Amino acid sequence: MNTTMKATMAQCNAELLRTVRNRRFVFFSVIMPVAFFFIFSSTAGNDVKVDNVDWVPYYLMSMTVYGVVGASLTSFAQRLSRERAQGWVRLLRLTPLPSWSYVLSKLVAQGIINLLIILVVFMAGGIGKHIDLPASVWLESGLWIWIGGFSFMALGSLIGSMRNPDAVQLLALIVYMSLSIVGGLWFPTSSMSGALQTISKFTPTYRLGQGAWNLIGGGSIDWNGLLILAAYVLVFMVISAYIMKKQEAV
Amino acid sequence: MKTAILLENVTKAYKGKRAVDGLSLSVEAGTVLALLGPNGAGKTTTISMILGLQQPTSGTVKLLGGDPRDPRIKSRIGAMLQDVSVIDNLKVGETIDLFRSYYAHPLPLEQLLLISGLESAKDKMATSLSGGQQRRLGFALAAASDPEILFLDEPTVGMDVTSRQLFWDTIRAMAARGKTVVLTTHYLEEADSLADRILVINQGKIIADGTPSEIKANATGRVISFTAGASVTTESLLSLPGVADLEWNGRRVKLYSGDTDRLIRVLIESRVDMRDIEIQSGGLEDAFQSLVQNAAVS
Repeated sequence: MNTTMKATMAQCNAELLRTVRNRRFVFFSVIMPVAFFFIFSSTAGNDVKVDNVDWVPYYLMSMTVYGVVGASLTSFAQRLSRERAQGWVRLLRLTPLPSWSYVLSKLVAQGIINLLIILVVFMAGGIGKHIDLPASVWLESGLWIWIGGFSFMALGSLIGSMRNPDAVQLLALIVYMSLSIVGGLWFPTSSMSGALQTISKFTPTYRLGQGAWNLIGGGSIDWNGLLILAAYVLVFMVISAYIMKKQEAV
Repeated sequence: MKTAILLENVTKAYKGKRAVDGLSLSVEAGTVLALLGPNGAGKTTTISMILGLQQPTSGTVKLLGGDPRDPRIKSRIGAMLQDVSVIDNLKVGETIDLFRSYYAHPLPLEQLLLISGLESAKDKMATSLSGGQQRRLGFALAAASDPEILFLDEPTVGMDVTSRQLFWDTIRAMAARGKTVVLTTHYLEEADSLADRILVINQGKIIADGTPSEIKANATGRVISFTAGASVTTESLLSLPGVADLEWNGRRVKLYSGDTDRLIRVLIESRVDMRDIEIQSGGLEDAFQSLVQNAAVS
């Protein structure tokens, strides 16, 4: 048991190292959200409101979600596909490392990464733009994004189940960008056409953002949104489990 | 002696085709066993089943007396597969340390770097290593658990001469410490110089089993080679009794035969246009060739 704990921690540590060293991760999950936040919060005036919420904190939430989603879709999916393509997973099956330890270490590492992204973006925006929100709202919205962010791990593992790492990189980027735009992370959904707004409501990115926008607007936890996110997790996991099972059978 | 590996009547079929066909095998602990055979002979499938990566269609596999999928068994083995197993954005030392963490009593990092010849590459990214270095990293990972049985699937493919020499020395040292080593190879020289026991596999079956010298002695791998005149054709040679196979190299031809004494008489009596005749009793390579060819004919 002691060895397994030690192995899980080492595995987790390796995940963190690989993520921090990944330039794509640093760009999409840290630099881009912070830069976008400062650019688009400055172009609009300080008293602009979106859906009765102040634009600046609204956009901070959008960008935090954008960073968290990017960490799962670009770097997590890429790490998975690389491991599978390079025979690493196959090699791990020959070691006494239990598969639950492998999965757990991925979850813990992604949890730490997402938490760091939330802290960095919140601090950059909160301090840089003097956003004045009650501590409880900071905490609630941060927790919402953190917990909801795990659902994108399921989407990341679905994309990462493909064997070709180059195709994974491209597909992940396309899915990431389109979900971010359609989900209203770049521009609020209220600026979209009616049809697009309807589609937007069904995206997981919108649901993750909506929960946070709702909280900073003085609302309470969006249980409906949580339910939709959970449904997505289920669907992504079932499909990726099916794909991986098919690949094993060969 | 203890039995390290036991296969009883193991068959693996893919879509009706038998990759491994009724294979039985018992390997004593401390043996260096080489699995030899052409591509697609079933070597890798056999290793995969011994390791529990694939399940046999029928028959039983026992590794160290247990199920290869049992974590207690897994902690006593090490394996280097054909895939290049490096991980992105981790350094060589970090990759080895990660692997060491999976075992209760791993070998020290320094020793693993030493036996794989990667001391100077410790702080390099694993993905930046050359092909041969990546193979050696794979070997360090296989040895991390200080395994009782070490499996090596085509270990020296892509290694340069120096790497290969270092690698062979390491295998011999491990064997001297009583480790069991199972390797598959295309390099007959490798099997000849490392193994105590060679298993020649073709079409999923064992066609020869013995020490390197037994294999060489029993095999009908004898060769007559000569420079042929213009009138000599493949058809005319193959029509002669006792020619198992032949190989051209310019006008130089090699005839494989079970009985070179009789064949040379036939060649002379048939007035085949020959110069610079050589008769070889055959090394392991020729033995292997003739074994595989005879098996294919029968």
